[in-house]
Amino acid sequence: MAANAPTLVPGTQHAIEVADLGVRYSLRFSRKTTLRQSIAQVVSRQRIEEFWALRHVSFTLIRGESLGVIGPNGAGKSTLLQVLAGIITPSEGAVDVRGHVSSLLTLGAGFDQELTGSENILLAGAFLGLDDKVVRELLPGIVTYADLGQFIDAPIKTYSSGMRARLGFAIATSVDPDILLLDEVLATGDADFRAKSKQRVIELVKAAKGIVLVTHDMNWVTEYCNRALLLEKGNVVIEGEPAEVVRVHEEHSARRKAEKQAELGTVAAAAGPLAR
Amino acid sequence: MLPFGPMSATSEAPAAFRHSAARPGPLALIREGIDEILSRRRLVRYLVQADLRKKGADTLLGNIWWVLDPLLQMVVYVVFVAIILQASTPDYPLFILSAILPWKWFTSSINDATTSVVSQERLIKQIQFPKIVLPVAATTAGIVGFGFGLIALGVIMLFYINRVSINLVFIPVIAAVQYAFTLGMALAVASVNVFFRDLGNVLRHLLRLWFYLSPALYSLSRLEDVQFFQDNPILLDIARANPFAILFESYRAVIYGTPEGGPLLPNWGALAALLLASIVLVALTTILFKRLEPSFAKVL
Repeated sequence: MAANAPTLVPGTQHAIEVADLGVRYSLRFSRKTTLRQSIAQVVSRQRIEEFWALRHVSFTLIRGESLGVIGPNGAGKSTLLQVLAGIITPSEGAVDVRGHVSSLLTLGAGFDQELTGSENILLAGAFLGLDDKVVRELLPGIVTYADLGQFIDAPIKTYSSGMRARLGFAIATSVDPDILLLDEVLATGDADFRAKSKQRVIELVKAAKGIVLVTHDMNWVTEYCNRALLLEKGNVVIEGEPAEVVRVHEEHSARRKAEKQAELGTVAAAAGPLAR
Repeated sequence: MLPFGPMSATSEAPAAFRHSAARPGPLALIREGIDEILSRRRLVRYLVQADLRKKGADTLLGNIWWVLDPLLQMVVYVVFVAIILQASTPDYPLFILSAILPWKWFTSSINDATTSVVSQERLIKQIQFPKIVLPVAATTAGIVGFGFGLIALGVIMLFYINRVSINLVFIPVIAAVQYAFTLGMALAVASVNVFFRDLGNVLRHLLRLWFYLSPALYSLSRLEDVQFFQDNPILLDIARANPFAILFESYRAVIYGTPEGGPLLPNWGALAALLLASIVLVALTTILFKRLEPSFAKVL
């Protein structure tokens, strides 16, 4: 153990290393595929379409860094988090994640409606692969942090969405992860809890843990992330200083907006004479 | 200073390295599957408990249905076969119940297993965990339903006290074979349903057909008298090799005995062969499941 210690000093070792990562989706199977469609595909020799949700993505996250991932919808932000969490296996390239990852990406997913709050904490702990003893030790802290009061012994189906989000956040951040993956969590809950969760994320960042955060809130990126990454159509556009990355992103989205409006304008102009 | 020193860092989970080129072989997949189930025993237990809670929670009579259900089904068949068709099997209620109970267990397990993976869609896209625990939990939860069904059996046996024999102690042995077979099927349907969402519809009809083709409402020896099977002895062999022919006949032997009311032991050879085949089936479907598992999060 002692021999390993020097390599684990914060700042000297990477927490995440991603090299030429690519994730390919085959559109042959989607969530609504039926036998009939598949047989029809085979019979008609339909070309199976594929697309790359991520391609040639490379970056390194040093321990203690907090990386903000931004980009338009469908850029591959969530796919990137899923790869880092080990949920999706890369189609090409390599991903090296060092340490325990916590990733209740969208909070409150996987809660069992019939079970009570505390039972769901135990279940979530089991899903996360934590020792039951550890979860039972963490339980009081989670209950206090989520501030659910008497509701902790009521079924989750009686919870408001804010309570659910609070519980999810409390579980995700209580497991003391080396690397925390967060997806748009800061938009949930009431203003009070938002402030409280910001506080908790800042604590985790300070505690020399790696964080990857997907968000649309640019203030968060500039204020609390020390690095940012802009994804567009599965490719890294720019990576570096948050302020700079956010500037590029805003430039790009302004341009896209202008293009879209111009397009709409020409469509309207073309439709104009016909309408008359 | 910070509460997280280097010592606590080394005690964390080891480096997790993932590479796109890594493709474990069949034996490695089987070992991985077994390891995952053993190391996540508690998760399986929690899932089973949640499943049972759900089934008992939204009905008026709760768990009483688990006892009532097979009894009502028995009444339907008794009215249909024994009274309307006037079949001459003695003590028909017990005869048919010995097939209804294992069949209910099998179909409910298969149905639950079919949706076990897709119903956890959101969670699968959120965290990494061994998906194999889901069909295993669904299959295991079915045992409890079977246990409640045995209460129904106990009630009915009171009316046929002369048929009670020591052979009843073999029910768990037969159930163990059935569990292995069910698990093998469950792993297959759970993984395939991710890719073909209409598998459940297909299965519903296949299962019904399977039930009527299996010696549930009639005994296997009845088939031997049918002209069609005498003309096609191969079909008769197939009917005998049907896993549920072996299971139904085994349950019926220990619960019902001979038609005259004497005690009867199951065909141990057939049961042993089925157990062996089931273990092979579980191994094969574990490989299938583990092969398809990496695609789950993408397809769901």
